[in-house]
Amino acid sequence: MKIISKKDFDDFINALIKDESWNVIGVKSRGSKFAFGPLENAQELRLDYDVTLLPPKKYFFPQRETLFTYDLSGGFSAKNPDEAKPMVIIGVHPYDIVALLHMDEIFRETKSDPYYFNKRKASVIIGVNMQKMSKWNFSAYMGCAVIDYGYDLMLTDLGNRYAINTGSQKGEQLLAKYAKNVTPALARDIQIAGQKKREILSLSQQKFDFPPEFIPELLKDSYSNSSFWERHSEKCLACGSCVLVCPTCYCFDVKDNPDISLEHGERIRTWDGCLLEDFAKIASGENFRATRPTRYRHRYFKKGKYLFDRFGFISCVGCGRCSSNCLPNIANPVDLFNDMYNESLNNGAQAITATTHPEVNIQTEGNIDYVPKLATITKKVPMTLSETLFEVKLDDGTELGHKPGQFVEVSVFGIGEAPISLSSSPTVKGAFELCVRKLGNVTTRLHKLNVGDKIGIRGPFGNGFDVDSLKGKDLLFIAGGLGIAPLRSLFNYVLASRNDFGRVFLLYGCKEPKEILFGEELAALSLREDVDFRSTVNFCPENEVWTGNIGVITTLIPQISFDPEKTIAVLCGPPVMYKFVIADLKAKNMPDENIVMSLERRMKCGVGKCGHCQINQIYVCKDGPVFNYSKIKGVPEAL
Amino acid sequence: MKPKVAFFDFAGCEGDQLQVANLEEDLLALLGQVEVVSFREVMKEHSDNYDIAFVEGSCTRLQDEDRLKQIRKNAKIVVALGSCAAIGGINSLRNYKDLDSVKKTVYGDQAKLFDSYAARPIDAVIPVDAYVYGCPIDRDDFLHVVKSLLLGKKPETPTYPVCVECKKNENVCAFERGQFCVGPVTRAGCNSCCVNEGTICWGCRGLVDNPNENSHKEVLIKYGLTVDDAIGKFRLYFGWQEAKR
Ligand SMILES: Cc1cc2nc3c(=O)[nH]c(=O)nc-3n(C[C@H](O)[C@H](O)[C@H](O)COP(=O)(O)OP(=O)(O)OC[C@H]3O[C@@H](n4cnc5c(N)ncnc54)[C@H](O)[C@@H]3O)c2cc1C
Ligand code: SF4
Ligand code: SF4
Ligand code: SF4
Ligand code: SF4
Ligand code: SF4
Ligand code: FES
Repeated sequence: MKIISKKDFDDFINALIKDESWNVIGVKSRGSKFAFGPLENAQELRLDYDVTLLPPKKYFFPQRETLFTYDLSGGFSAKNPDEAKPMVIIGVHPYDIVALLHMDEIFRETKSDPYYFNKRKASVIIGVNMQKMSKWNFSAYMGCAVIDYGYDLMLTDLGNRYAINTGSQKGEQLLAKYAKNVTPALARDIQIAGQKKREILSLSQQKFDFPPEFIPELLKDSYSNSSFWERHSEKCLACGSCVLVCPTCYCFDVKDNPDISLEHGERIRTWDGCLLEDFAKIASGENFRATRPTRYRHRYFKKGKYLFDRFGFISCVGCGRCSSNCLPNIANPVDLFNDMYNESLNNGAQAITATTHPEVNIQTEGNIDYVPKLATITKKVPMTLSETLFEVKLDDGTELGHKPGQFVEVSVFGIGEAPISLSSSPTVKGAFELCVRKLGNVTTRLHKLNVGDKIGIRGPFGNGFDVDSLKGKDLLFIAGGLGIAPLRSLFNYVLASRNDFGRVFLLYGCKEPKEILFGEELAALSLREDVDFRSTVNFCPENEVWTGNIGVITTLIPQISFDPEKTIAVLCGPPVMYKFVIADLKAKNMPDENIVMSLERRMKCGVGKCGHCQINQIYVCKDGPVFNYSKIKGVPEAL
Repeated sequence: MKPKVAFFDFAGCEGDQLQVANLEEDLLALLGQVEVVSFREVMKEHSDNYDIAFVEGSCTRLQDEDRLKQIRKNAKIVVALGSCAAIGGINSLRNYKDLDSVKKTVYGDQAKLFDSYAARPIDAVIPVDAYVYGCPIDRDDFLHVVKSLLLGKKPETPTYPVCVECKKNENVCAFERGQFCVGPVTRAGCNSCCVNEGTICWGCRGLVDNPNENSHKEVLIKYGLTVDDAIGKFRLYFGWQEAKR
C-alpha cells in the first residue's frame, strides 16, 4: 500500500490530463446525480459519489458503436474502425470493477470480441472504495463491495490523503510516471484503510433474507410458477430501464445505417434488452417471449441461473441501478428473491442450499469477425412465389467449408444481415446454395438481386449435424415447409456417400402444392430405390392437381415402418411441427437420443454475443441450431 | 429515374414541413436522390405525378377524406408526416371535449357552417405505408425513414418507449427531478431529445403498441399527481389512440 496526499493526487490527475495521449475519464456530477465523463481538470472529479447513472462499461461496449463502414461505389470495401486510444478511468467502485470482469468472460467466450477488448486492453482502471453507498446497493451481499483484484490502482480516502493499492504493473507505471510524492504506507495508514473498508460493509440498506449463493437453486423450481411471475411483473412498463443501466447486461442489436448518398454507410451495434417487446420476435411474426411476465422472468433467470450455469457466477454485482431506475419499483433483485425464498418456505420447501458450482471451462479461439466476406450471386432460381434458391461464390475464391446444418449470416449492405441455412451439401465444391423465403427487409431485398450482384457472407456458424454419429444408422428426415432447406445439406451429403448409411426416409409436408420446394429434385428421388420419399400437402385448392397424400406431416409417419432403435429422426420445420411429430415418434417408441432437430430463433450476431437467440441457458446460434432432443426436452422454452 | 416526391398538408401547423425545409445541407443531399414535385413550404408549382406522398396534418372533416383518397390513388407510397397525420396528434385533444363547444370557441357564431368531426390520423381513412412520428418530427428520424424508403426497405420504427433512449443518453430521469414524464408509454425514435434538453417527454410520438397505461398512471400518482392530472397527462397527444384502445 502507498500513500499520496490529496494535493499530490490532484496534480497526478492534472498531469494525466495534460498528456494528450490519454483519454482521461472520471466521475463527475450530473444534475443531482453522477456520471462518468471526460475530465477537464482534477477539480471536476467526485470520488465521494454514491453511484453513477450508467456503469463504466459504456467505454468498452458503447451505447452505439460502428462495427465497420462500407462503401459501395466502385466495387465494395468494408473497413474496420480504428484502434482504441489509451484511456484511464478514475473512480470506479468495486462492484463495477467486478462487473467488468464478468463482461470480460462474456465477450471472450468461444471467440473474443475485438471491439470490446481493443478498448479494454488500452485502458487503466483506477478504482475507489465507496464513501457513500446508494440506498439500493447490495454489493456487500454479492461479495463485490470490497475487492482486492480487477483494478490497476485502488484508492481509499483517508481524509487528507489517499491510500493506494496497486493491482498491476500498468498501475504501478502510471503512478511512477505521473505522480509525485508517493510514499509507502505506514502501519497506521494500513490500519485506518482496513477500518474504512470494514465500515463499507455496514453501509448497506438492503437486506437479503438468505445467502445469495442460494439463488441458482432457488430459481430452479420457480420457472413454471407462472402466477409468481405474473404477479411480480404486472406493473412492468417494458421500458428496459433495468437492463439498460445494468453493468453486466451485454445484449445488443445490429443495424445498417446508410448515409444519405445511400452508397456509404456503417453497420452499428446498439444496446438492446430482453425486457423490450420485440427482443425475441422473428420475421414471420412469431415472438418467443411475447408477454411481459416471460421477459421479466428471463432477466432474473439470466442473472441468477443461466449465466451461473455457463460461467459459474451470478451475473449481478448488486449495484442497485436496476432497482433505482425502475419506476414501478419491481426490478429490485433483493425484493424479488426474498419474496421467492419466503414463498417457497411457506409452501413447505425443504431447506434451500447453494448449488455446487458448475464446471466452467471458457475457451477462446480467435476473434469474431463482424466484417463479412464479399461474395457474388452466381445463380438465381425462383422456386415458388416467395422462395428463391441462390448459388453464391466467395470472391476470394476460398471454400466456405461448412458442415451440413450450419448457417451463414447474409448481408445486403444498407439493409442488414439475416441468418440463412446452407442448403447445399459440403460435397459440392466451388459454391454453396441458400434457399431464401421473402419475409422482411433483408430477404425481400435479396430477392431483388440478380446474378452478378454482391452480397456479404459471415460464417459458417453453428454446430451443424454430427455426421459421424449418423453413419451406419437408418435416417428418417422429416421436413415441414422451408425446413427442407437446411435438411437438404445433410440429405444430399448422405446421398453422396449413400453406402455409409442404412435405410433413408424423407417425409416432406407443405401447406399446398404450389409451396413445394426443390420439386424436380424430389421427383427424381421418387425414382430411387434406396430412398423412401413421401410428401403431403395440408390441402389442395380446386384448380390445382395433387395425386399424393393430403393431410399434415404426421399423417405420413404411420405409412412407413422403421426400427425406432436403429433410426435417427432428423427434423426441421416451423415451431408448431415439432411437438406433434415428436409425440408420434415417441408413440412409436423412438428413444429421445435418436431425435435431432434444427431450431430457429431471432439472431443478430450469430456468434453467441448479442443474446437474441437465447433459449433459457442455450444460445441457438452457437450451441445449435442442431439439437438432440434428449438435451433440450427439459429446456422449457425450446419447443 | 429519381422518385418523385410531393408534400401535402391537412389540419396541422405545417411545422413538420418546416422541419424538412430546414434540413439544409442534408436537404441538398436528399434532393440529389429525389425530385420534389410539390412542396408548399418552398415552391409554388404543383404536380399530381408523384411516387411518394408525405402527408402532414390530421383528417378533421369529411372533405379531407376525398382529398386523401385521391393522394392514395396517385402515390405508390404514402407517408404520414408528423403526429397529426400519424396518430391524430394534438388535434385529437379536442376529441375529449364536446365537439360543439370546440367549434364555438374556434369559429364563434359561424360554428354550424363547419362540419368538423373527431380529429383522426390519416390511416383512419387510407392505408399508410410509413410513419414519421413527432410534433414536430425529428430530422434524423425523417432522414432515416426517407433513406429506408429509397432503399426499398420498410423503415424500422421502435416499438419500445422513450425511456430506452433516455437511459442510453444517461439523463437524470424527470421523476427524479420532481417532474412528470410520459416517456414510459411513448414510442421512441426521437433520441429522447426533450429530456436531453432537461425537460420531459410530452408524448408527441404517440403511444407504443402495447403501453402499460395503468402502471404508468400509478407511477404518476405515486410521484404526486392527482388521479385527474394523471389522466390528463395522456391527453395532449394520445386522444385518438386512447379512444381506439
Ligand atoms: C439458424 C437459422 C437458419 C435459417 N435458415 C433460413 C433459410 O434457410 N431460409 C430462409 O428463408 N430463412 C431462414 N431463416 C429465417 C431467416 O433468418 C429470417 O426469415 C430472416 O432473418 C428475416 O430477415 P428480414 O430482414 O427479411 O426480416 P425482418 O423482419 O426485416 O427482420 C429484421 C432482422 O431480425 C432478425 N430476424 C427476423 N426474423 C428472424 C428469424 N426468423 N430468424 C433469425 N433472425 C430473424 C434478423 O436479424 C433480421 O435481419 C433462418 C433462421 C435461423 C435462425
Ligand atoms: S425497469 Fe421495471 S418497468 Fe422497466 S422493464 Fe424493467 S422491470 Fe419493467
Ligand atoms: S441486476 Fe441490478 S443490481 Fe445487479 S448488477 Fe444489474 S443493475 Fe446492478
Ligand atoms: S438477456 Fe441478460 S444480458 Fe441480455 S438484456 Fe436480458 S438480462 Fe441483460
Ligand atoms: S425522463 Fe421520462 S423518458 Fe426519461 S427515463 Fe424518466 S420517465 Fe423515461
Ligand atoms: S421526448 Fe417525447 S415529447 Fe419529446 S420528441 Fe420525443 S416523444 Fe416527443
Ligand atoms: S447470441 Fe447473437 S445470434 Fe445468438
